[in-house]
Amino acid sequence: MPIDTVTIREPDYGPRERLYLRELVRGLLITSRHFFRNLFGERDLNSEVGERQGANLIATVSYPEERRAYPPGYRGMHRLVPREDGKPRCVACYMCATVCPAQCIYIEAGEYDQEGIEKYPTRFEIDELRCIVCGFCVEACPKDAIRMDTGTHSPAVLSRPLATFDKEALLKGPAVSHPTDAITYGKSRRGEPLKH
Amino acid sequence: MSSTMSHPQNQAMEPVGIGAGALTGHDVHREAPKGPQGLPPSNFYAPFRPKEIAGAVALIGYLVVLCAVWAAMMIFGDWAIVGLFRVLGASLPAAELWGNAIANILFVVLAFVMLLATLLTMGERKWSAFIQDRIGPNRARLPGLKNHAFWGIPHILADVGKMMTKEEVVPAMGNQTLFHLAPAIAFAPAVILFAVIPLSPDFTLWGEHLHIGVAPHLNQGLLYIFAIASIGVLGTSLGGWASNNKYGLLGAMRASAQMISYEVTLGLTLVGLMLIFGTLRLDSMMSQQTGHLFGFLPNWGVFYQPLAIVAYFAAASAEIKRAPFDLPEGDSEIVGYFIEYSGLKFGIYMIGEFVEVVVFAGLFTTLFFGGYHLPWGEGWLAGHLGPTWLAGLQVLTFLAKTVFFCWLSLAVRWTYPRFRYDQVMNLGWKLLLPASIANVALTGVVILAGGMHGAAIMGIVELVILLAWVVGAVGVRRSGKETLLPTESAAASEHG
Repeated sequence: MPIDTVTIREPDYGPRERLYLRELVRGLLITSRHFFRNLFGERDLNSEVGERQGANLIATVSYPEERRAYPPGYRGMHRLVPREDGKPRCVACYMCATVCPAQCIYIEAGEYDQEGIEKYPTRFEIDELRCIVCGFCVEACPKDAIRMDTGTHSPAVLSRPLATFDKEALLKGPAVSHPTDAITYGKSRRGEPLKH
Repeated sequence: MSSTMSHPQNQAMEPVGIGAGALTGHDVHREAPKGPQGLPPSNFYAPFRPKEIAGAVALIGYLVVLCAVWAAMMIFGDWAIVGLFRVLGASLPAAELWGNAIANILFVVLAFVMLLATLLTMGERKWSAFIQDRIGPNRARLPGLKNHAFWGIPHILADVGKMMTKEEVVPAMGNQTLFHLAPAIAFAPAVILFAVIPLSPDFTLWGEHLHIGVAPHLNQGLLYIFAIASIGVLGTSLGGWASNNKYGLLGAMRASAQMISYEVTLGLTLVGLMLIFGTLRLDSMMSQQTGHLFGFLPNWGVFYQPLAIVAYFAAASAEIKRAPFDLPEGDSEIVGYFIEYSGLKFGIYMIGEFVEVVVFAGLFTTLFFGGYHLPWGEGWLAGHLGPTWLAGLQVLTFLAKTVFFCWLSLAVRWTYPRFRYDQVMNLGWKLLLPASIANVALTGVVILAGGMHGAAIMGIVELVILLAWVVGAVGVRRSGKETLLPTESAAASEHG
């Protein structure tokens, strides 16, 4: 089979284009313009690079010292939401562990003696190395007991076991209460203890 | 941080209701960056603020102070060593000969050329960063000074430490002697090339006759430059050959072919200067570059040989394998001649490149930009300060010019894309070489007809044409019409 060949004629430039002295000088002016603006201009540390002001054109964000704001949809690491009394809202229903596609949640349930709630987690561990940050656990939780609103990403660790966060490490942040809590947590809507 | 933004880490922990921000904890709306698409950011044309202008002036001041410290070190060091020879009982001519030579080797070649080359290794990284809108290296710290990056200069120490402690791999089948010798052969010519460059006229300080520059009175100064510059190719080709590596050998062939090609141009561009000044001695060329043309223009080589400057700059960049001509090394994609080198030997190749940058900047200054001469006001200064102070100022001038041309060399390197190999050869043999030969012929004719004065007029006419060419007043019209590529025209005819 014959192969079609195409002869490409380069555009016919004149001597001025061939010598491109003018373009050399223009290019040098552009780079030296950047050079002097960045050398002498004071760096604006605005984390939004597009909004930076001033003569300096450097777009770098020096990460550990300067941080960009996370986008509004950013989830961050899990936390176990505490009740007003500091205990976790979690009732150890295993919903999150069941829905978790990465199977990174491990729960062991225990029983309360006095309270209206039957169960609480004696162990609640999340392996942050396995977690794919999909947020299904947050969606699945019926008690709003696990949230991904810390805005921090999982910290660097020196060994794998350290990336498994236990209940004490996860139980943090502001307490949350809902009007429907009364049914679960052993109080009526007026604040009276429920009868069993 | 702008007021419209709030960091999620600060805000995320606020107690919120069940629906609102269950995932994020904040609902701050973020605006898109300003400025139309495809245009430079809005601050691209922002003016400098007064504080920044003050900073710029201060930085230039620092540079001048640095050069002044260098100049003072050279002059007083020279005086001290010549004096030491006298004290030790050497005869006057011997003390002046050996004292000057040794002092200048110490203070010019080692303390200036080597130090500037070392600083340029970091300068290249930092300046290229600024050209590319980056910050550049700023992580290394000096012990005890953890809060200041010192413009990346501690990285030099880190680099040296790295180079010195790296394992040196020596190819077993290579030529052992030459493999070890080649970096030195590549490095030495670069250093000793600086010997003939005069940094000051002869002057007298506290009774000692001094001159800055190792051997500026050499009769064959320019020939010495040609001779030594052409030795550099030995180091590269031997390095490639001795490492017994096919890629290294290919790289060495590329490098030596390029260097030998451009050496011709390099020599011929300087022949014009030789004709004009009528001498090979660099100090004599220097003494002729004083005074003024037509009463106001500095009497520098640039106004006699503007064509040669362009050709010389290109040829010198190719000769030292830098700027757009760095294809023998081609850090990013091509396997170069030092593929088998590691550790300090590789470091010597690298630092040798920067030494060459300094040396060619010095040569450029000397030959075309008046060397140590101030552009204006030398006569007035000589009258008011005396020749010794003037000599100090002239050393300072030389250093400042050299530093500037080092900067220009680096800026050129980070501006232009690398040539293809055939482009390098075409440019060298078909454009620069004929141009430099024509320049020699033209200069010869003009000097025969009109002498120095005629050469100056020719040079200024050339310079004006060149500048007009660059600015666009001459030759703007495109000589040929733009042709469609055949595929495009075929496609166009199909659709039409």
